[in-house]
Amino acid sequence: MHSTLVLEIEPQRGLAALDFPSLWRYRELLYFLVLRELKVRYKQAALGAAWAVVQPVFAATIFTIIFGMFAHLPSDGLPYVLFAFAGVLPWTYFGEALRRASTGLVEDSELIRKIYFPRLVLPTAAVIAPLVDFLISLAVLVVLMIWYHISATPSLLLLPAFIVMNVGLALAFGLWLGPLNVRYRDVKQILPFLIQVWMYASPVVYPLSMVPERWRPLYSLNPMVGIIEGFRWTLLGTAAPDATAMALTAASTIVLLVGGLLYFKRAERSFADVI
Amino acid sequence: MAATVIDVDGLGKRYQLGANRQRTDTLRDLIAGSVRSLFTRRRHEARTDFWALRDARFQIAGGESVGIIGSNGAGKSTLLKLLARIVEPSEGRARIVGRAGALLEVGTGFHWELTGRENVFLYGSILGMSRKEIARQFDSIVAFADLAQFIDTPVKRYSSGMYVRLAFSVAAQLEPDILLLDEVLAVGDLAFQRKCIDFARNLQKRSATILFVSHNMHSIKTMCDRVIYLRKGHVVFDGPTERGLQLYEQDCCLSDLSWISAPRDEWPIEITGCELIDANGVARSVWDFGQPIKLRIFYHTQRAVADPNFIVAFIRADGVACCNYSSEADGIVTGQIAGPGCIEIDAPPLKLVSDMYSVSILVRERGFGRVLCGQTGATFHVRHSLFDTHFGVFHEPATWKFSRRSEAVPGDLSSCERLAGRTA
Repeated sequence: MHSTLVLEIEPQRGLAALDFPSLWRYRELLYFLVLRELKVRYKQAALGAAWAVVQPVFAATIFTIIFGMFAHLPSDGLPYVLFAFAGVLPWTYFGEALRRASTGLVEDSELIRKIYFPRLVLPTAAVIAPLVDFLISLAVLVVLMIWYHISATPSLLLLPAFIVMNVGLALAFGLWLGPLNVRYRDVKQILPFLIQVWMYASPVVYPLSMVPERWRPLYSLNPMVGIIEGFRWTLLGTAAPDATAMALTAASTIVLLVGGLLYFKRAERSFADVI
Repeated sequence: MAATVIDVDGLGKRYQLGANRQRTDTLRDLIAGSVRSLFTRRRHEARTDFWALRDARFQIAGGESVGIIGSNGAGKSTLLKLLARIVEPSEGRARIVGRAGALLEVGTGFHWELTGRENVFLYGSILGMSRKEIARQFDSIVAFADLAQFIDTPVKRYSSGMYVRLAFSVAAQLEPDILLLDEVLAVGDLAFQRKCIDFARNLQKRSATILFVSHNMHSIKTMCDRVIYLRKGHVVFDGPTERGLQLYEQDCCLSDLSWISAPRDEWPIEITGCELIDANGVARSVWDFGQPIKLRIFYHTQRAVADPNFIVAFIRADGVACCNYSSEADGIVTGQIAGPGCIEIDAPPLKLVSDMYSVSILVRERGFGRVLCGQTGATFHVRHSLFDTHFGVFHEPATWKFSRRSEAVPGDLSSCERLAGRTA
C-alpha cells in the first residue's frame, strides 16, 4: 500500500501558494518535455542541429555587413563581428525562449484539456530547451575569440550569473504572456513585432555609449540592456557595466519573475476552461 | 464496509455563456470595451451562467466500480475532469484518498514527430510515471502493444490502430488506487476493447476503485454494480446498475437521436409511441431468441408530408447497428400522411444474439433525403443461454455435411453424409 495520499479539490480563493513541491515531483516530465522540444525542433531537417549555429552566425554576419561596414556603427573598439555576436548570442536565446514560453501553452492545449500536471512545467521547459542552442552558439563565439586573439578576463567568472538572469527574464515574460495568449490569441500576433522592436531597443547592434547620457536611466529600464552589456563585459572584456543599472536589471527581473509566477498561478486555474 | 475514498460534497462547475464572454475574446474587444466603459455608465450585463454540474453529492468506497451515465451534456465528463483536477470547481468540494489516475483520452501528449520509443517515455511521464518505472516496464509495454518492429519509427507513420494500442499499453502500466476512465473503452476495434476491459478487470481484482464514464450501457453493465445517473448537471439517481439503467432507458425513450442537428420543433413528424408486441398481441421488452417481433409505431404529423420513408433500426447496446428496415427499400409507397397515425412492422424472426438492443426510428424524405424525424424508440432484451456477442450479430443454423472417410477429395462431396442440423 502506498502512503495514503489525500487530495482536496475545492475552488481556490486568493493567491494560492506556489506549488513548488509538485513541480519537483514532475521534474521528469520537465526533462521529457525539454527533450521533446529538442528532438522535434530539427527532425526531418537535412542540416539538423547545425541550424543552431547557422541562425546566429547568419544574423551576426548581416549585422556586420549592414551596421558595421555600411553604417559604421561604433563597436567599443572591438571587431564588429565579435561585438555583434556577443549581443546576438543572449538576444537570440531571449527571443526564442520568450516566443516558446508565450505560445507553448496554446500549442499544448490538448494536454491541458485532458491531463493534470503542474502547468508551470510547460513554460519552464520552453525556456530550458533553447539553452542548448545557446551553448552551441557560445562555442562558436569562443572560436571567433580565438581567431581574433581575444583572451578571457577574470570577469568571465560572472558569465553564469548573466545567463541565469537571461533565463529568468525570458521565463518572467513568458509567465505573463503565456496565460494572456491563452485568453487572447492576439499575443501570438503581436509577439514577432514585440521581439523585433525590443531588439532595436537593446544594445545588440550598437553600443550603449551611443545612447545619449540623459536618456540612459530610462533606456536602462529595459532589463536586456544590463544583460547584453554583462555578456560583452564578461566575454569580451569591455568596460564593466554601470553597477546601478546592473542592480536595477537584477531587481526588475526578480520582481517580474515573482509577479509572473503569481499571475500564472492565478490564471492557470481557468486554462482548461478557456483554452 | 470499506472506507470512503472519493467524497464529493456539493461539487459544481459553472461556465459563462453567451454575449458577455464572446465580447472579450480578443484583445481589441477588451480594449474597446474598457474605453467604452469610461464614457458610458457601466450597465450590469446579464451573464448567462450555465451549470455543467451542480450540487453533486456522493461517496464511493474503496474497491467499488461506479458507472456514470447520462445523455450528452449531462455533466459526466465535467465531473471526471473536476476529480482529475483538470478544471477547478466553482463551488463545493471533493476529497480523494489514494493515488488517482485519470484516463480521459488515450494518446493525448503523443508527438507525431517522435518515435514510438520516445513517445512511450514522454507519454508515461505525462501520466505521472517515473523514468525508472517506464524503463523497467518498457519491454512489456512494447509486447502488449505488439509493436516491437515499429518502436523506432516516428508515430506519424503509424496507423491509428497502432497509435492507440501503443498509447493504451503505456496507460495500462498505471497502477492507481483510483482510476477515472472516460469513454476510453469506446475506441479501437473489438479485440482492443476487450483488452481494455481486461485491464479494468485486473484493476478491479486488485480492489482498485473505478469511476467510469460511458455511453456504452453494455460496458457499464459488465463493469459496474452501481451507477450515478446525471441529468442536466444533477445527480438524479445513485444506486444499483440495473435500476439506474432502467431509469435511463425510460428517459431515453422517444428522445431525439443525438446526431440529428435540426431541433425537434422543426420536424414535421413526431413519433409519439413505440411498442414491441408478440404474436399474441402482448407488449414485451424481453424476448426469446428467434421470436418474431411486431413493432407498432405511433406518429403525429404537424404538417402533411408526401411519401415519407420510415426507417427502423435495431442498435445493439455496444452501438452496432444490427439491421435496418426501410419502407422505401421494401417498396412501400406510404402516400400523403397528415395528422396522427400508426404503422405496424412485422420483423422477420430475427436471430439476434442475447444482449440489449434499442430501436431507433428515423423518417426521411423520399429517396433517403432530408431527415424529417429521428428518435429512440423502445429498448428490448434478447435471451439465449449460449448465443451472445461472441457468436456475432445473429445466429442462424447452417447445413453441415461431413465425411467419415479419410480419402475424401476436395471438391467431391458425393461421398459425404448429410447431417441434419438440430434446429435451435
